[in-house]
Amino acid sequence: MKPVKIAMLSLTHGHTRKYFQTLKENPKLEWIAVYAETERIRDIFLKGNYNVPCYLDEQEMYERHPDIEAVVMASANNKHLPQFRECASRGIHVLSMKIPSFDMDEYSEIVKLVEKAGIVCQIELEMHYNPVVERLKQVVSNGDLGKIGAVNATNITLSPVWAFPWQGVPEESYGKRVQLCPGDNRFRGGSLCDHPHVFDLIRWLTNSEFDYVYAEAGPNIRQDIEVEDTLLINGKMKNGVSFLFDPSWSRLEERLEIPGPGWEIYPKRMEVNVNISGEKGVLFADCFGPNVYHNGVPNDRYTVQYTYFDEWIGMMDEFVDCIRNKKNPKINLKWHRKTIEAMNACYESIALDKVVYL
Amino acid sequence: MLNIYDMEKALSGLLRKYNIQEPQDFRLTQPGSLNGLNLLPGWTLIDTPLDEKQIPLLTWRLKRKFLELKKIVQDSIIENVRMFRFCSMGNKDEWNWPSLLYREMDLCEFIGDGKIVSLQAVISDNQTGNVILRLDNNILCSVEISIQMPSDSALTDRHEIIAQRGVASDLVVDTMIPQNSIYSYTEKGEQQYRDVDMELFGFDELQIDQVRSAFQVLKQRELAQQWQIQHKRLVNFINSVYISDNEQRKIIFN
Repeated sequence: MKPVKIAMLSLTHGHTRKYFQTLKENPKLEWIAVYAETERIRDIFLKGNYNVPCYLDEQEMYERHPDIEAVVMASANNKHLPQFRECASRGIHVLSMKIPSFDMDEYSEIVKLVEKAGIVCQIELEMHYNPVVERLKQVVSNGDLGKIGAVNATNITLSPVWAFPWQGVPEESYGKRVQLCPGDNRFRGGSLCDHPHVFDLIRWLTNSEFDYVYAEAGPNIRQDIEVEDTLLINGKMKNGVSFLFDPSWSRLEERLEIPGPGWEIYPKRMEVNVNISGEKGVLFADCFGPNVYHNGVPNDRYTVQYTYFDEWIGMMDEFVDCIRNKKNPKINLKWHRKTIEAMNACYESIALDKVVYL
Repeated sequence: MLNIYDMEKALSGLLRKYNIQEPQDFRLTQPGSLNGLNLLPGWTLIDTPLDEKQIPLLTWRLKRKFLELKKIVQDSIIENVRMFRFCSMGNKDEWNWPSLLYREMDLCEFIGDGKIVSLQAVISDNQTGNVILRLDNNILCSVEISIQMPSDSALTDRHEIIAQRGVASDLVVDTMIPQNSIYSYTEKGEQQYRDVDMELFGFDELQIDQVRSAFQVLKQRELAQQWQIQHKRLVNFINSVYISDNEQRKIIFN
């Protein structure tokens, strides 16, 4: 199979670095160009010695590399629509970050652009390529737990806003400045926007859609950001399964501009834990465990060192397969729309202080 | 296996040891004593109208791990608490859903040193469900309850407190279930032990909690009335939880 010639856009998304190794090593991909939004980002990228040309102008990159077949759209949420327009006009396939847009009109426009151009658009929900999640799906689907009553899940992390400032800017993260709720000095665009995975996962596990959600924001841990950093959500799926999600940024971090060792103050920087209650029993899953531990440099703090599974390998394999064999990705725009709608409903619930039906 | 009579005997022993007046007649289990004191875990009295001889024991309030968590909050070892993430899972032979909820809601108030001012609940089949609570000091709490653990499973819980500065928890970092003190792997199979009280050695944790809380009530008599009042509040919250679930709305308390 001919390798897919691929480029990366912007390099401002928190997951940017996770693609570098895969793009370099996957024989089905030929990484031919990068567009960096700023000189600073370009300089950081160049230090990695990937030997891939890096441009500060998106148009220049396209003009110099007319053979680009696909891009990883590693940009802030508010940059996605213009970048989709450009890609669609050039017939370039897109691996989109988790949130194509929170604005459902924009989302519809992206769907139309993709359909009209006949390009592949896969959404980056990498948990689907995680072996623990795969096992979880098997255990649930083969009936070991019986009829499922509740699926509770965390998607807790530190806050990335110091390294990826757009995630703390309502217009760039949520797409516009919307007050969280009356009398609150915070705006939409914080930890909820960063954590769609559990909303997606429950749809797969229960084979059902959201019936209603109730969400409540807690007081912020970080007083100096203007987006929410703690919240809880409960509700029900249409098949009666209840859920409780915690998508907070409740793990405190050192305010590093470039993520690296010593980023975490709390020993564990991230967790996706799932707890399922069924008629025949209960299951606890740590989607990123087990790990190793140290208390070494730079801060001599007890630290959970992840033994990450590289979900990006499976995800990029699927992306290539969809491009070369004209398939529709598992996580496509149509599927993902209901996840985004549920997340929007959570914001609406916070604003209205009541249950919101979907 | 030590039984309820052993517990009553152990309580008498403690009272004598610490020179605390022993009531003429008391029971630690249902149906209880007709004329004497009935010192029963509060959750067993949820559906029973209280009389003055019935003391609903908030047994967890004497448990070391909760006392330590409370102290961590009270002494500002962690500062400016923002969230509680509480979870309790039991088996339906020993527990029912409201009983575990009763315990966890009291722990929210006890550890958080606040009063519940609102709640919103979602329940499935009266066996599993979740409640989002807020305390009057603005702490946002999640309480996850399930009684779908298999028979003979021990109560499995988690109490995590997230503050602006620091996190406290009764679970080890990067784990999902509580740890034990001893794990043995022999020809008899795997054995685990969690012994937490030398004076009451041999009793299981729930028995220890009940004896300790009964002892405390008899030592500190004003506690009886305080716990009766708290019991009524908790029963009221449980009723509100069902209303919240049925009507799919947030309940706010004045």
